[in-house]
Amino acid sequence: MSPTPHPGRAAPLTPALRSFEAQWRARKPDLLAGLRENAMQRVLELGLPTTRDETWRYTNLRHLAQGSYVDAPEAPLQGLPPYALPSLLGEDGRTDPVLMVNGHPSLPMSMEAWPEGVELSSLRDLSRTDPALVASHLEPLSDADQARWALLNTALFEDGLYLRITAKVTTPLVILHLLTADGANNVAYPRVIIDAAPGASATIIEHYVERGERPPLCNSATHIAADQDSRIEHYRIFETGVNATHIDSLTVRQHGNSRCQQFTIALGGALVRGSLEASLNEAGASLDSYSLLVGHESRHVDCVNIVTHNARDTRSRQTARAIASGTSRVVFNSKVIVNAGAVQADSRQSCRGLLLSPQAEIDTRPQLEIHTDEVKCAHGATVGRLDPDMLFYLLSRGLDRETAQSLLVFAFLADVLTDMSVPAARAAIEAALIAQLPHSKILQAFR
Amino acid sequence: MLTISNLSARVAGKDILKGINLVVNPGEVHAIMGPNGSGKSTLAQVLAGRTEYEVTGGTVRFQGQDLLALPAEQRARAGLFLGFQYPVEIPGVNNVYLLKAALNAKRKAAGLAEVDAYDFLALIKQKMKLMQMNESFLTRGVNEGFSGGEKKRNEVLQMLVLEPTLAILDETDSGLDIDALKVVSMGVNSLRDPSRAVVLVTHYQRLLDYIAPDFVHVLSGGRILKSGDGSLALELEKRGYDWVQGAEVA
Repeated sequence: MSPTPHPGRAAPLTPALRSFEAQWRARKPDLLAGLRENAMQRVLELGLPTTRDETWRYTNLRHLAQGSYVDAPEAPLQGLPPYALPSLLGEDGRTDPVLMVNGHPSLPMSMEAWPEGVELSSLRDLSRTDPALVASHLEPLSDADQARWALLNTALFEDGLYLRITAKVTTPLVILHLLTADGANNVAYPRVIIDAAPGASATIIEHYVERGERPPLCNSATHIAADQDSRIEHYRIFETGVNATHIDSLTVRQHGNSRCQQFTIALGGALVRGSLEASLNEAGASLDSYSLLVGHESRHVDCVNIVTHNARDTRSRQTARAIASGTSRVVFNSKVIVNAGAVQADSRQSCRGLLLSPQAEIDTRPQLEIHTDEVKCAHGATVGRLDPDMLFYLLSRGLDRETAQSLLVFAFLADVLTDMSVPAARAAIEAALIAQLPHSKILQAFR
Repeated sequence: MLTISNLSARVAGKDILKGINLVVNPGEVHAIMGPNGSGKSTLAQVLAGRTEYEVTGGTVRFQGQDLLALPAEQRARAGLFLGFQYPVEIPGVNNVYLLKAALNAKRKAAGLAEVDAYDFLALIKQKMKLMQMNESFLTRGVNEGFSGGEKKRNEVLQMLVLEPTLAILDETDSGLDIDALKVVSMGVNSLRDPSRAVVLVTHYQRLLDYIAPDFVHVLSGGRILKSGDGSLALELEKRGYDWVQGAEVA
């Protein structure tokens, strides 16, 4: 099947789009080709989102659109075992991470090392043996502006990870995304599908790190399908380096009485954009979303959550804590949509921002869109500086100003940290957070 | 120990203290009483070093030092303690962390080594028992979810651990039921000794049933209008603040 440019194209073909199109032409068609073609044509037609698009108002990708990109290398790092790689997560009580280099998984030779109830496949293999299953987790395609990069990922991912959970798994599973470039202007398309069977449960940690000088542009996408009565605790930890651009799209689809706890932790990168789109499709589905967004130096972090209640008795909680220091900018937008029929929906959004320097900026906007009666929806957003009453209280006890301020900054994040159920992950995230806060030495002494 | 001379202060452009004079010697307990809005809390906050209050005149000497020249944290390390009227909740900062940091800051300023972790825990537990506080306190954030009474007990607990030379307790009795008032008073009394002093800022006389003051001062309109011994408090209780205020006008 050979692609033809869409006749109705409206978007200017930027150098970036041109290079993405060239990548696509070079792909060998697989059994998902029809779906991928649709995706690519929609991207070419609509173009990449710009600041004119609703969820991209605060994040300008113009510089990115002017670049030309080629695929990041598939498998360097020969002979380097996964556990020797830099990992934020401690070694205690878990299996080795699944390593994904630029989106290409290195699957363990034997599944015996994996806990019972966990099945792993490469998406490349699964697309050959069960394309309908893969397609069911890629569809329906959305071309909304918050999903545009995911659409591009759908068109272009070469491989990825399919993780099926069929039992109650107690050991946290770590997916270590390693981004590395070969010197060219690379782009990577990591794709992960997490599929929880009825009644299954697991904790899954996706950790993005980089190796080498100039990391690839990372356009990653993860989909979580939570079947009836399943429980998923999912972390995505963005910890790439100071030059990295990372755009991550997470979609969550929840069935009856499923429970999903999702932690988004932005700790690295020059520009990080994370979206979460969750659909609570059956009664009793419950989502807790936590965002810890740390703007440091000149970092730009933009996270958007869109949570849709489609069924009765569904529940969502969103807790976001943003800190901005230096000249950084942090954006957090969240939207809750309660559709007709989602009576007794219960939703809360709480977003708090803390500005630590006069040049830093935090933009936050909680939104509600309600199409039914009998719902309980609340939202609140505040952005400010350290509370002077708290600061004075600590000073009046003899703590020096730096210690007092550091403690208050850390305390600001505590609401999110305390709900993490994996102690090793929590400790590692705390340590990484502290390293980016002012006066981190003082805080280390308190741990 | 503490000599306040002609102290004036304003907050948000409004003059609150208009020439306070007070001398507190080691071993003494002073009660500062007065109606709402008289400047009692402002005096306590100014002495503790809150910068939102602007000192417009006068001097304060504390153990030979110019107190007003010191930032709040140095006043605390020099041995001054403020028990807050409304202790703030600080979720995420653990009670024990705070106490340990406070004690170590004070010890460091005095040239002492940091307190041993084991000794420290033993000390806290002993003082908690005295204040009849629940063990769960150890794992909670500073004043987090505490009732009004628990917050005040926590203030006194902190005072007992830090052993200040001068404790200023701002309406520590307000919002306490009679049992809590007894516990808090016992805590304060346990700190009384010839080398320390206590200044009790209070609206009501009932605290003074449990902590007998050596001196009572009536603060009104930013000035001390009358001073006397413990019997003054009883007279105030009987005759009301109007009695003192009226006396001044006459």
